[in-house]
Amino acid sequence: MAKKGSKNTATNPPTSYSFTKEQLKEIEALKAKYPEVQAVTLPVLWIAQDSFGHVNPDVQALVAKTLDLPESHVHGVAEFYTQYFKEPKGKHVLDVCTCLSCGLSGGVDIVRHLEKKLGINVGETTADGQFTLQEAECLGACGYAPMMQITNDVYVNHLTPEKVDKVLDQLISGSTPDFESIAMPLVDSTHTTKRGGSNE
Amino acid sequence: MAEIVIDGKSYSFEGKPKLLDFILSKDKEVPFFCYHPSMSAPANCRMCMVKVGQYVKNRDTGEYELDEHGERQIRWFPKLQTSCNMDMMDDMIVHTHETDNLVKRAHKDTLEMILINHPLDCPICDQAGECPLQIQTYKYGPEGSRFEVKKQHKPKHVQLGPRVTLDAERCINCTRCTRFTDEISQSHQLTITRRGDKNHPTTAPGTVFDDPYSMNTIDLCPVGALTSTDFRFKARVWEMNQTPGLDITNGKGVNVDLWTRDNLVLRITPRHNPHVNDYWMTDKGRDAIQLYNENRLSTPSLRLHPKDKDLVMTSWDNTLQTIQEIVESTDSKQILSLGSPYASVEENAAWAHFSQTILKQKPSYTAHVEKGAGDGFLLVDDQAPNTAGCDLLGLKKRTKAALKKAVSESQVIFSLHDDYIERGWITKEDLKGKTWIYFGTNLTQIANAATLTVPITCAAEHTASYINVDQRIQRTYPAKETKYTNRRLDLEMSEGRLDRFGTKFDHWVNEDNKIDCKPLWEIVSDLFSLWGQTITYRHGRDVLESLNQTITALDGITYQAMDDHRGVLLSTSEPQEAST
Ligand code: SF4
Ligand code: FES
Ligand code: FES
Repeated sequence: MAKKGSKNTATNPPTSYSFTKEQLKEIEALKAKYPEVQAVTLPVLWIAQDSFGHVNPDVQALVAKTLDLPESHVHGVAEFYTQYFKEPKGKHVLDVCTCLSCGLSGGVDIVRHLEKKLGINVGETTADGQFTLQEAECLGACGYAPMMQITNDVYVNHLTPEKVDKVLDQLISGSTPDFESIAMPLVDSTHTTKRGGSNE
Repeated sequence: MAEIVIDGKSYSFEGKPKLLDFILSKDKEVPFFCYHPSMSAPANCRMCMVKVGQYVKNRDTGEYELDEHGERQIRWFPKLQTSCNMDMMDDMIVHTHETDNLVKRAHKDTLEMILINHPLDCPICDQAGECPLQIQTYKYGPEGSRFEVKKQHKPKHVQLGPRVTLDAERCINCTRCTRFTDEISQSHQLTITRRGDKNHPTTAPGTVFDDPYSMNTIDLCPVGALTSTDFRFKARVWEMNQTPGLDITNGKGVNVDLWTRDNLVLRITPRHNPHVNDYWMTDKGRDAIQLYNENRLSTPSLRLHPKDKDLVMTSWDNTLQTIQEIVESTDSKQILSLGSPYASVEENAAWAHFSQTILKQKPSYTAHVEKGAGDGFLLVDDQAPNTAGCDLLGLKKRTKAALKKAVSESQVIFSLHDDYIERGWITKEDLKGKTWIYFGTNLTQIANAATLTVPITCAAEHTASYINVDQRIQRTYPAKETKYTNRRLDLEMSEGRLDRFGTKFDHWVNEDNKIDCKPLWEIVSDLFSLWGQTITYRHGRDVLESLNQTITALDGITYQAMDDHRGVLLSTSEPQEAST
């Protein structure tokens, strides 16, 4: 069939973004792991985001060129996942969940608190480039609502304004909030027996 | 052979057809949006739901298990299934909405879901009247919506490329358009951006959707999300008449539909022909509307004195007599007669008949081939629609140099269609002192320089056949009237649709835009009679019938046969008489 029209792989990605030799080697190794090169789009976008801090259209074009994939494909993938930053963000990205469970248990108040505290609106980045505040949809931690995720990484749960303040201080001082292990309430054993007892 | 029971009726089948395809081929209906017979089936619109089950067989005996009433037991799939990507299996039982209320309910709910954020702007939407979403909602949709919240807003009138405009709010994210650029045109220019209720098709940042086949996505789009930048808001679907025709912008012979209103061709869309173009056409082919509507030669015109700047209109009678005078006062060796690959088989044949009888020579022609213009799909090197037709009629092919030489050696030149000046094959200077009689449809450069211009019908105005690069002969229908035809009398012309009393009607509001032109075969018949010969070609059919006798390859080829088989592949490409 036809192979006409510009294939829209990046023709000239800006010289400001390029992969290092080591990164290119890493990408080659990744390619060998998958039957199709399309599958490597995700990890390579991660490599790019780790190194440039974001995957803006120029970076997407670089990824497309490196993998010899259509630019539109890489763009579609990058746009689909909120975890990829399509523009430069603050050093710490605060994703506060305001979906159903978190919303009901005060997630929106946490957002308002952070807005006041950081002096920005949701979706914005502080002038010193330290924090970006975002609203997130359900992050699958409804049991510990309200919660937020920090820069695609650690979850901070059972948020209160005080806890949030502490987390901000920690981040500014350069440490990461600790991982909190929260035990799930176990299912009542008597209840289990009842349900499992159908053949008795 | 495998058996399947659909709505209580059993059908046998072979291979592994997809269920939706099979049901549709049995003249039954299942509503769908994302499925397209020529592309992969991602099953993402969820509209084509059916209930599917299988007869239970005893593993040991291979006998059907029976229930207490002695009926075969059925094991239903746990949920409704999308039929578009379901492989058919032996012993399957299928319930469509015709026999199952659950399926009906599924259709209703899917539509309610699809319509949550749909703007419902059918009154101003180009797609209204031919919109699967509108039709499906009318037939299977809910009465109203339970969603009272504000609709999600998305980008509107986005210029995706030079020819395609997107209204993202109307999009139902079926991905037909992105699959088209991935699988058919392979330009990979489109993708879906964002997700959830914010997603819509887009190009990569900084790129434009300039695929040479981009406008097919407009036809594909099951809603009015992708619209033609040029045709947008020009006409409602029901105001236009839809007439089958051919793409005359190159030699591929793509099958098209011409959409006309008030004798203007307003848009051209592809017509399905698995032997030629499947469901597709080039963007370039759609530009033919300009050829049909604009800059047309209308009424014969004559340059009274060689020095005159302009041609003056003249009558048909005078035109014919002028031709007769010119021919009779010129030595036939001084006359050059040219046919054209831009004209149909019938026009070339009628002209050749006259030329051979009266001008004592077989016409020659020049092919218009642009090396490298083809792409192995629907663009081909041959720029003219009927080069093979000229060859079949045995017209001698001239090169550029041979044409120039022949022109310089002749006093009187009869030419058809081709604009040799625009193509750079001859110059205006070459016409100096010559009598050039031009039969054409448009005010080309050569028409401007000619001595006498005779307007003839274009492919949108006559019934005539064209032979494509693969030797397939196909025909056109009149889609618009000339000054001398009437769509109510000429039963070949399409007239919109039937009203509820079965009477044809259309929504044309005026009788303007009729061109004063005649089919070339009619002009030829009139010329013959001036010479006292009775040869009457009233219709393209008359010419074709005479060719049936004289050209073996055309033996038995009729318009009916072309209609029945979507064009006929000719068995030979040999020119009948190569000598000129
Ligand atoms: S624009 Fe049309 S064809 Fe493309 S995804 Fe949306 S509805 Fe489907
Ligand atoms: S709603 Fe916040 S994690 Fe699920
Ligand atoms: S047609 Fe089957 S899911 Fe869209």
